[in-house]
Amino acid sequence: MISCLLIQVTRNSQNLPICKDSVISGETIQIGRGAACKIHLQDHRISLLHATILRTEEGGLYIDGENNVTLKVDGFITLSADLLPGTQIEVGPYALQVEPSDGVHDLILRLELVHPLPAALAVRVPVSLSELGWSKRRFGFGMAAIILFLFMLLPLLPAASSALDKWQSGLPVTLTEAWSPGPLAGGHALFATKCSTCHQRAFKAVTDEVCTGCHTRVSRHLNKADSAAAAFAGMRCTHCHIDHKGREQLVLHDSSKCVDCHGNIKDKKPGTALGNVRDFVSAHPPFHLTVPDIAGSIRYLQDDQAKRGEKSGLKYSHQIHLDKEGVSSPQGDTVMQCQDCHKLEESGKHFVPMTMETSCQQSGCHALDFTDPVTGLAPHGSERAVMNSLRAFYGKWLSASADNRASCKSLSLQDCANELARRNAAATLFRKDLECGECHEITATSDQEVPWRVTPVRINRDWQPGATFVHAKHDTMKCTDCHDKTGSKVSADVAMPTIGKCRECHAGNHPAQGRVASGCDSCHQFHRSAAIP
Amino acid sequence: MNNMQGATLLNYKNYRYLKVSAAIVLVALVVYVLHDPVGDRAFGGTWLGYTLGVLATLMLFGMMWYGVAKRSITGTPDWSMITDREGEGRDLAEMKARHLRGKPPVNKGLRGSGMLQEWLSGHVYLGISLVVLATLHTGFHLGWNVHTLAYVLMVLVVLSGFYGLSVYLNYPRLITLNMGEDTLDDLLLKIAELDELAAARALDLSDEVNVLVRASCQETRVGGDFLQQLSGSQRNCPTAFATRHLLELGGQYVREEQRKMLRDLYSLLMRKEKLVQRARTDIMLKARLECWLYLHAPLGIALFAALAAHIVAIYFYW
Repeated sequence: MISCLLIQVTRNSQNLPICKDSVISGETIQIGRGAACKIHLQDHRISLLHATILRTEEGGLYIDGENNVTLKVDGFITLSADLLPGTQIEVGPYALQVEPSDGVHDLILRLELVHPLPAALAVRVPVSLSELGWSKRRFGFGMAAIILFLFMLLPLLPAASSALDKWQSGLPVTLTEAWSPGPLAGGHALFATKCSTCHQRAFKAVTDEVCTGCHTRVSRHLNKADSAAAAFAGMRCTHCHIDHKGREQLVLHDSSKCVDCHGNIKDKKPGTALGNVRDFVSAHPPFHLTVPDIAGSIRYLQDDQAKRGEKSGLKYSHQIHLDKEGVSSPQGDTVMQCQDCHKLEESGKHFVPMTMETSCQQSGCHALDFTDPVTGLAPHGSERAVMNSLRAFYGKWLSASADNRASCKSLSLQDCANELARRNAAATLFRKDLECGECHEITATSDQEVPWRVTPVRINRDWQPGATFVHAKHDTMKCTDCHDKTGSKVSADVAMPTIGKCRECHAGNHPAQGRVASGCDSCHQFHRSAAIP
Repeated sequence: MNNMQGATLLNYKNYRYLKVSAAIVLVALVVYVLHDPVGDRAFGGTWLGYTLGVLATLMLFGMMWYGVAKRSITGTPDWSMITDREGEGRDLAEMKARHLRGKPPVNKGLRGSGMLQEWLSGHVYLGISLVVLATLHTGFHLGWNVHTLAYVLMVLVVLSGFYGLSVYLNYPRLITLNMGEDTLDDLLLKIAELDELAAARALDLSDEVNVLVRASCQETRVGGDFLQQLSGSQRNCPTAFATRHLLELGGQYVREEQRKMLRDLYSLLMRKEKLVQRARTDIMLKARLECWLYLHAPLGIALFAALAAHIVAIYFYW
């Protein structure tokens, strides 16, 4: 039998203890939520049967926790504990204190609820976003501060110190990188990390001097002295050459600025020979052809020039040379191609000037031979050079043996050589339609030593010097598509294509079905040094 | 509300701002199409690009002013008070009075709620048109730089605004449908009362039942962190778990009195579960109603910083 004095302690509003004593006895004393328990604790945190107070065989008292129940004795978790005076046992939310014995009861227990249930059983958590304590302002101004630091303050620093500018240009990511609106074009990419190369003054536009500092050989469209140059007043290089638009985007392919002036050039520059141009297809004057002249060059409308014909001083039949059956040569009949004589320069624009040696004699054709009294070859050169060559040839031949000199009779060796040279030149070389005369116009002169004159050959190298035409870009076409000379019997025939021929493939400023858009700069250069008529 | 308020927002003064914005967009598009920039390169540096940029910047300042002015009128930077059930049915003037109770209104250019409503209508429509203007301003040239950062921030601000407009027009009705005459505090009070009843009712039942009830009382969360509020649910909700498993424990009771107690307890937990779900739904709807502002407003501020950097960069390296 265990006799127990239970002192149940509660607290008043001032937190002062209020004690209520009760005496419990029994063989064992059960502690739990169940109604049968002698120490009945009305708390759902307590099991129905939470623990039992028992007496040991030696007579001592101890408390034994039930299954799945743990007790805390003096702060340590245990399953059972001796009930000695001073022992503090936590039973769920209750504290059970063993008081010193009064000699009347076997056990005096002081019981107090030390962990009462909260007013609301559930834990309160935030029920709105505002209770999370987040600050929109802090978030926003934080981001703003980061952006201003990274993208405004840092990019400004290089402008404050050239040393800093130099240092930062070597960084993998430069301070000003975020300000660049796009990749720089071509070679400009070399100094992409150093903005101050071009942007030399803050809040000032890039000046032309910055451009011409490197691009020293760029010519102006008009000389400053030209009255029409006022049209370019206020314009800067960067108006046309807008950088930061990609690697290949610096050159402006836009005709609108050209048309601003050339669309009405007749009014803007009275007296000009230029025609008004607005579009290659719809508003472009017929081609002009430029031919060499004593004074330099002369431009003619293409139709007029066609009537005039080319005065090259050369007699040449394309028809014979381009005969499909072939032209006779020492190697037999040879079918010739345009490229046999017209060889493209490396630039792809013009052709290598033709020479007698490379274009006319390369297959043994047009050998300038003479045969009387011995066979020899005359060089291709001036009349005097030919005659000197013949004299030297015969002089050498005459001095070679007495037999050779037999025909000289009373003439000196020199006179004899001159005579042989003159006779052969007249008989075999300087003939009207053979040998030299086959290609050249020959007239007689009163000169005793060189009594013939060959008309100088002037083959026009560039019919349209104001335009840029790249033959290499048109190599998908046959030469004769544009220059049909297969039926040309005389060299005076001009076979330059008309503007209509170009328009078969080239549209104007805007693309058209089956034709390629072609602005002004497709054929013309802005920065040119040619004199403006 | 809010259908009425939503309608007012969108068709304010016979769609005045829709017409204004549509006209701006139409003119901008037509001019952009007709515009023939040098080299066919449309970008912010052409005369049209500058015009569009300046116009877009002015519109941005106008829209930012709405946020500042709204704060000065209502004392709140968002629409939560409008959608608060307590504020339902009141007009903005009443809410303004409530929020400014005890201090005089600081009116910075807006004359009351009518003006506020007008600015909000303009804010929405001009914000939409801003996307078009800014896109044309870029000439569709974007890159990894501060200029595109400003553009992207602008798009994000407008997109979050789109979301806000969408919830503003729809969620208040859903909140009303869910809550009826109750407020969230009412529900939380009722839930607390049910917790107490259930805990007391469970005292005479088995430990297993008490474990379920204790978990339901102490571990059920209404609200919580950001994601919990947005989801409106709790993983392994103890209350739902308790209601599912409570009746399974009924087999151990043979006395009719205990069975009746268990049924009562089940009834209490069922009621609690429904209240918890309604409360969570309310929190979820309000969280979804407000969450966009945690992007819209801060990104708007960040946008102004990026815009400032964009403008300085353009003119500094002219």
